[in-house]
Amino acid sequence: MKTSRGAAILAIITAALLILPLVVHDTFVLRVLTEGIMWIGLAIAFDVIAGYTGYLNFGHGAFFGIGAYTIGILMMQAHLPFWVALPLGGLAAALTALIAGIPTLRLKGAYFAIATWALSRAIQQLALNVEFTGGPDGMRLEAFLNPLFFYYLMLITVGVIFLILWYLLERAPFGLKLKAIREDEEGAKALGLNPTMLKMQSFILSAIPTGILGGIYAYWITFIDPSSTLGDLVSDQAVVMVVFGGMGTLFGPALGAILIFAFKTIFWAYLSDFQLLYLIILGALIAISVIFIPNGLWGTLVKRKAVARPQQKPEPASEPAALSAVAVPEEGN
Amino acid sequence: MMELLPQALTDGILLGGIYITIAIAFSLTYGVMHVIDFAVGEWIMFGAFTGYYLNKWTGLDPFIFLPVIFVIYFAVGYLVQPVIHRVLSGTKGNPFLMGLVFTFGLAIMFRGLALTAFGFYSNSIPSAFSEGSFNLDSIGLTVTIPTVRLMGLAYAVAITLILHYLLKKTNFGLGVRALAQHKDAAGLMGVNAKRTGSYVYGIYVGISAMTGVLLGCILSIGAQMGNEYTIFAFFVVVLAGMGYLAGVPWAALLLGLVQSIFMIYFNPSHTLLAVFVILYIILLISPRGLFGKGV
Repeated sequence: MKTSRGAAILAIITAALLILPLVVHDTFVLRVLTEGIMWIGLAIAFDVIAGYTGYLNFGHGAFFGIGAYTIGILMMQAHLPFWVALPLGGLAAALTALIAGIPTLRLKGAYFAIATWALSRAIQQLALNVEFTGGPDGMRLEAFLNPLFFYYLMLITVGVIFLILWYLLERAPFGLKLKAIREDEEGAKALGLNPTMLKMQSFILSAIPTGILGGIYAYWITFIDPSSTLGDLVSDQAVVMVVFGGMGTLFGPALGAILIFAFKTIFWAYLSDFQLLYLIILGALIAISVIFIPNGLWGTLVKRKAVARPQQKPEPASEPAALSAVAVPEEGN
Repeated sequence: MMELLPQALTDGILLGGIYITIAIAFSLTYGVMHVIDFAVGEWIMFGAFTGYYLNKWTGLDPFIFLPVIFVIYFAVGYLVQPVIHRVLSGTKGNPFLMGLVFTFGLAIMFRGLALTAFGFYSNSIPSAFSEGSFNLDSIGLTVTIPTVRLMGLAYAVAITLILHYLLKKTNFGLGVRALAQHKDAAGLMGVNAKRTGSYVYGIYVGISAMTGVLLGCILSIGAQMGNEYTIFAFFVVVLAGMGYLAGVPWAALLLGLVQSIFMIYFNPSHTLLAVFVILYIILLISPRGLFGKGV
């Protein structure tokens, strides 16, 4: 896609989203759109560490929940105004990423994937068992019922997140450095990069927007409990959106988020008695995407040429690439 | 409270013994495929439910079904592994990431299937051994050992010995160890990575499922039990040092002790937090495991 044409399409979509509430007054439609936009933000934030850096964070939902709970606790117990609490939600998520990243980001991706997942389960347990979160009963926030406000807040927040990430990952050298780590960590080290530091930066960069979106979500929905914000569904959906849409791009996860969220909305509307079926479909969709479209929808349909690249080695110790060296296509990007 | 300590330690050791079986099989699979299987807890859960229903339908003791369950799940694992192998040897995208994502997807799907089929209730599998227990009062200890836990330990020792024999004394085991050391060199020496991988994965799924039945007899079963055991398997493997099999028994015993001490002295629902804190400290101080011999 040519940059100018892509920019034009994006500008049209943004303009349409900006004027939409003036045309559509249905609160249900606004509500669905607000949540859909939120999921786009969550998916692209997840992709920073998973797609660009190649480290899968299966506990992405933990940052969302931490953001939501931070805002909830600061607003209801410390009586801080929303605008003061919101950045602190992002900060809390960043701190969590820092603490979780120190021991795990030095290690191989497998450790990181399962450690982040275990962390999200542990945080959910913590939220269920301590006093100040309200335990399993959850927490009710002061209601500020203005769908239009939250629509625009979500739209502007996700727009800003998208622009910042687009600049950092697609225009600034930072994105190239992350991709270098994903492709060959040893090679990146040999070029003088500090992989641990870069991985930490990308992990925090992925955590901050997620925490902030969690905060907005809490204030918008006005009720949070451990299963809705810290449950595994948030993480699972982020994984499915990014894998299905296309890892390592910004548009892929956005596309995945739109499709999966649309599917979820329709599914919830007509088949709400079969919520478990949704879980099965999510899992099956991940498995099927991995087998048939490993580059995701975006990578397969739109960037077909750009993604052909040599086979990766899974571990420094073993190099399957050597076995199929004949079949490896020329270096392309 | 102190008089409960011998009981806590005994329970912990007996429970930890069972975790050894899962952790060794899990560790072997990681060694051969270089991918962590997120579905480990789900295999345990499926095994447990198969045992539960077989027991319900036939009325026979679950211990009798163990070989049957092994055979069923060996076949399942043997058939599933080629798909994982295909993902791992793919040329598009990043196969290693895709492998992780794939097993993660499997785990979600399995959990959904189990919740649909079995509901949210938890149950336990009745066994003839669940009734009896040994009392150690005669030698001056106030410790009760339930027969079922003792049988669990006997099972764990048997499985560990069989796996040890397989790995160290047979050609198959030599192939497995060679694959774990260097996949390509092993391939050049005539080890069929694909078939060996299928066998190892089958053995691992079979053992996990059998262990699930035992855990169902000793603790309880539920469609959501998988999560916890996936974390436990990971805990043991990290503490032992990824790929260092000799460390697995000690790490598994430690896990059993942590769990039983939390059950007796603290809130059992904090076990997961304790496990995570220990995991965090180990990864921070010695990422290559308690013995520093992991990969």
